Amino acid sequence: MANFFPRWMNTLPLKVAVCLGALGTGVVGAVTYYATPKYGKVGYMPAQPVPFSHKLHAGQLGMDCRYCHSHVENSWHSNVPTTETCWNCHQHVKKESPRLEPVRRSIDKTYENYDGKPIEWVQVHKLADYAYFDHSAHVNRGVSCVSCHGKVNEMTEVYHAETHSMGWCLECHRAPEENLRPLDQVTNLDWKPEDLDREKFYGDLLAKGAEPDTILSALGIEGAVATDASGLATAAANVFGDKATQKEVGPVLKTLWNVNPPENCAGCHR
Amino acid sequence: MKRTWQHPEEPASPATLTPEGGETPAGKHYWRSLSELAETRENIDARDSEFHGSPGKSEESESSRRDFMKLMGASTALAGGLAACRKPTLLLVPYSESVEWIIPGKALLYATAMPRLGGCTPLVVTTHEGRPTHVSGNRLHPEVGNGNDGIAQSSILDLYDPERSRNVLNKGERSSQADFSAAFAEIAAGIKKSNGEGSAFLVGETSSPTRDRLLKEVATKFPQAVFYRYESINRDAVRKGLSDATDGKTDVSIVPRFEKAKRILSLDCDFLGLDSPSTNATNAFSKNRKVDDGGAAKMNRLYVVEASYTVTGGMADHRLPTNASQVATIAAALGKTFGLSVESTTKLDEKTTKWVAATAKDLQAHKGEALVVAGSQQPAAVHAMVAAINDKLGAFGKTADLLNRGNDPVPFGTLGELAEAIGEKKVKTLFLTTEADPAYDAPGDIDFARFLGEVETTIQLSTRSLSATARAATWHVPAAHYLESWGDVRSAEGVYSIVQPMILPLYDGLTEIDFLLKLMADPAPATDPAEGETVVSDSEATPGYEAVRATFAEIAEGDIEKAWNATLRDGFLKGSSYKASNAKIALPSGKGGFPAPTLDAMEIAFRPDFKIWDGRYINNGWAQEAPDPTTSLTWDNAALLSIRTAKALGIENNGQMLKVEVAGKTAYYPAMLAPGHADNSLTIPFGYGQGEDAGFIGSDRGFNAHPVRTFASPYLTMGAKVSVLTADEIIDGEKVIPANYDLATTAEHNNMYGRALVREGTVDAFEKKPDFAKKQGMDAHIPENVSFYKSVDQDDKPLLSDPHHQWGMTIDLNQCIGCTACLLACQSENNIPIVGKEQVMQHREMHWIRMDRYFATAEPKLDKKTQDAGANHEWTEMSADHFENPEMTFQPVACQQCESAPCETVCPVNATVHTEDGLNSMAYNRCIGTRYCANNCPYKARRFNYFDYNKRPIDELYRGPFSTKEKTGVAETHKLQKNPNVTVRMRGVMEKCTYCVQRIQEGKIEQKRIARDSDKLRVATGAVRTACQDVCSADAITFGNLLDDKDPLVKMKASPRNYDLLNYIGTLPRTSYLARIKNPNAEIVALTGKAIGEISSHIH
Repeated sequence: MANFFPRWMNTLPLKVAVCLGALGTGVVGAVTYYATPKYGKVGYMPAQPVPFSHKLHAGQLGMDCRYCHSHVENSWHSNVPTTETCWNCHQHVKKESPRLEPVRRSIDKTYENYDGKPIEWVQVHKLADYAYFDHSAHVNRGVSCVSCHGKVNEMTEVYHAETHSMGWCLECHRAPEENLRPLDQVTNLDWKPEDLDREKFYGDLLAKGAEPDTILSALGIEGAVATDASGLATAAANVFGDKATQKEVGPVLKTLWNVNPPENCAGCHR
Repeated sequence: MKRTWQHPEEPASPATLTPEGGETPAGKHYWRSLSELAETRENIDARDSEFHGSPGKSEESESSRRDFMKLMGASTALAGGLAACRKPTLLLVPYSESVEWIIPGKALLYATAMPRLGGCTPLVVTTHEGRPTHVSGNRLHPEVGNGNDGIAQSSILDLYDPERSRNVLNKGERSSQADFSAAFAEIAAGIKKSNGEGSAFLVGETSSPTRDRLLKEVATKFPQAVFYRYESINRDAVRKGLSDATDGKTDVSIVPRFEKAKRILSLDCDFLGLDSPSTNATNAFSKNRKVDDGGAAKMNRLYVVEASYTVTGGMADHRLPTNASQVATIAAALGKTFGLSVESTTKLDEKTTKWVAATAKDLQAHKGEALVVAGSQQPAAVHAMVAAINDKLGAFGKTADLLNRGNDPVPFGTLGELAEAIGEKKVKTLFLTTEADPAYDAPGDIDFARFLGEVETTIQLSTRSLSATARAATWHVPAAHYLESWGDVRSAEGVYSIVQPMILPLYDGLTEIDFLLKLMADPAPATDPAEGETVVSDSEATPGYEAVRATFAEIAEGDIEKAWNATLRDGFLKGSSYKASNAKIALPSGKGGFPAPTLDAMEIAFRPDFKIWDGRYINNGWAQEAPDPTTSLTWDNAALLSIRTAKALGIENNGQMLKVEVAGKTAYYPAMLAPGHADNSLTIPFGYGQGEDAGFIGSDRGFNAHPVRTFASPYLTMGAKVSVLTADEIIDGEKVIPANYDLATTAEHNNMYGRALVREGTVDAFEKKPDFAKKQGMDAHIPENVSFYKSVDQDDKPLLSDPHHQWGMTIDLNQCIGCTACLLACQSENNIPIVGKEQVMQHREMHWIRMDRYFATAEPKLDKKTQDAGANHEWTEMSADHFENPEMTFQPVACQQCESAPCETVCPVNATVHTEDGLNSMAYNRCIGTRYCANNCPYKARRFNYFDYNKRPIDELYRGPFSTKEKTGVAETHKLQKNPNVTVRMRGVMEKCTYCVQRIQEGKIEQKRIARDSDKLRVATGAVRTACQDVCSADAITFGNLLDDKDPLVKMKASPRNYDLLNYIGTLPRTSYLARIKNPNAEIVALTGKAIGEISSHIH
């Protein structure tokens, strides 16, 4: 009986398997990288019709986010400002700048190219249509802008900082304490828990009617006794160190404010 | 092996068992259709197959080679496109200048009113960034509290109808605004010159003070002009009758006060349905149907005399099926018992006489608390008699008000007089501003289309250009929808409302007010061509707005600006009701009556259609697809007739074609078997049959009732010869009348096999045993439900995941009148598509709420054994007596939000899961369409998108991507109506009610916004209302939070009448029902030998 198959064919299955394996790994790797929000969304930085710098306005000038995004606390949609909002200042400041040409075109009735049409900003953050995100539910309950949008006050041009994938949403919905902060700091993008004045923080909570024992148990401190703000601050300092951390602030706020983000489908999908 | 739930066998003869409560149960049987009653083989097969029908009859079953190539080409292009796919650039476009009140993303509500015949429907309109998307009732309105009706609900779709009139037509051909303006200026100048001689106005019936004021001005300016008023459904007879009874006064109107009436007799008056301008009657009536808290004794009692079943008849405690022509005879007989004598040419039979006597006795016994109402389709003599009876009953000032609504602004002639004037060549220019379509809907003996042709110039203002009148008129001008108009209107009792626009006119329509102003305006000063500049007025106020304000200034008192703003905000002007009238009622002498109809000379009663009114809503898909409450018919009209008459004529099935011959005219109508209908009588709803050019939705729908109507007696034709077609008939040499016409009824869809779903009792039974409803049907046999799951954790803390909210609902069958407004409100709120007649016939309608209409009769005498052996029974084996006067009950069924939901366990992809607050939620984006959930739903509450109903025109569903996009079924304008807070579902996705989860989420988030840094997360009591609850004028639906002690829902759930559907299968539904209670008159029960509302069958 003749040898139908040459000897090199003995290793062929192995070679094929190795090649297919490599190919498979490559495909899986490529898909996990390229077909996920990390690749598709993070870093997306489209050019805007007006090169508006958040770094200048929100960072250097220290304007509050809500000056322009005025309805963020009232609506699911955080509105992009009307041209009128820009014009409030810019009719006095840098009115003639060529970079503001689209603004003048839209609002300045004395401008020769005035057409009254709105400015068409390019959308950076976009959720799928079947996901119903609500800004007001978040910013009113101690979730800062920075948690989802990154440090916009340091961005010259706004880019997509986080993945905004469903898994990413759920991470926080399962452990909201990692992103809670006092309400007056929600639009302060530079806030760090270390900046916290403990006595004032606990004093405010107690003034709102919180029980010291509740706070202590939220902090997970056993055995300590505290009746006022300074007592609480001391107890917390004993456990968490001199500076406050998110591990201290988050659980307290979560317990006192009763923060229980929905984890079922109907929370975001209808 | 497939395991199936074995519903326990129900004992064959329940009457032999004695219930614990000591009641003797009457063997009562509930059924939705004749074939269900008879359990025909066909019906059993249909209900046993979970998904009905064949794979579907396709209008294009074979795809051609060309199609295949196209498809291949398309997929190749798609593949190529994907490879080069980049993130699409999306734009955010804010306003240039901030807009008053608008917060992007938040709905904005405005109060307005929808003008209706004899009044208005006050509304609150939801708008999203300037798009009206949903209407609900104005709860502040003093007259019409809660809810509204289906016609008001579907009117929002009319706003976005792409085929609404959008162009000026000249002799039926498209013309331009400029041409019309030129012609109009000439016409107006001509009229001015001749002082209006030769000009006539045909206006509609509306109670707009501004319109009336302008008509008066027109009459002053053009003294020779003549005015006529026309609507095919009008209140002429009501006015005439009242005028006759008040010695010729023409400014009187009667407003019934149902909330004060303990005994009500309706003489063919569908006051809970179409015979009220708004839902105020339902509101008021249902206040006295609440029976908990010892209310049973105070409950009102309703007697209804009518020919064909209406929703009012369905609510009746006693209903007498009577020929429409004999209602006058009954009124006369009733009057006689009050000493009011009118000569009547016909006699009543003995049974009816006794019925009337017993009713009269009951009314007499409740003087000052009794009320008699007559239907506006009844002749004037009936209205005069009813006014006199009410006077004798001491009703005025108590259960009814005599109000002074003021005289008509100008004397109006009738359509008949107009036709006469045209015939005498007295009319040269005719202005038609009536929304009716006289060229189509004038009675058959006035060929109005011909008369229109004889007038030199006719100018019609209408929202519909696809109408016979628009085609026949010299000029047709687009009118504005009421949601785009400035206007005003008075309700039935005179409460003044402003009609304010929600959106600029989509198609540049004019309002009637604009039109009249334009006619009276001085010719515009010719612009100097040298300058060539158009002058733009600084004031943005339109002439219509100015006119309404001018009227308002006359009506309101005090600070006009303040009152105007308050009226705009609240939707009505305080203290603007009509003043009481000092008219005295005196019965005019006269005689009347029609001979009783016979099988050879039948009567035909014409009624407005529940779906499309007089036909003006024929191109409205929501209206067309909403099943008629009593017949369940969609997309068509039909001639209703009684079972006895049907048997006599040899009719066995719905849709058999009837040939109707009367006074030399012949017409054809499909028959519809209507249990409870009067004998020798046809009822034909009109508005249908507008021909093949009535729009995408309205073309070739139904049958025209107008040819067999007469002007003298517009709603009743006597002496009709009716026969059944045995074979297709060809008329005029070409048109084929089929012997059988397909009618799409939904009565048999989503059959739940009976099983004591509807439960009812009498006041007596309720007082004796309040919880009679708890143990009926199978529920009488089962032990207490035991759950294997613990309800508490190891620390005895309840295992409720959301400690603030657990949602629930009750539906009070004692309040529900079955009007289907909830179904339409749900459609509007939840972006539910229509599917078309062919798909409805395949049981694929998408309404999340199914309005089950049950007839109740005695247990049928059919041998069940032979049935099981496969013998095919037909309902025709039963005696016609069986169907003479069945009772009717309604039960709306939507998803029951089971705590232990069978659908959730079978979903392979977790697309339907339970939420912490007790909803059975749907994640549409997850659904892959296995339909297992629908298969496992015992309530048949799930709906499947067999096609891309939101994307494809309904006549080309089977063509998929090859459907022609330019078809109007998927018009761009329809997209404007969609609720942005609800996903628009695509093909292959299951959908169902989720208690308006978008409203719940909005409520919860709003509460979070308020709570901020506190822990008060429970939404305020009553802050979340579902769309169906909001629209329900009968207050039948209570939705709320089971954990909130203050919530009315908690009280409703604690009612002894509360019961769950299919309790014994242990699904623990969150929606429960409250049993219906009837309040029968013992004397009439003895008379008919029938226990109305006796505790229903299978009580043990």
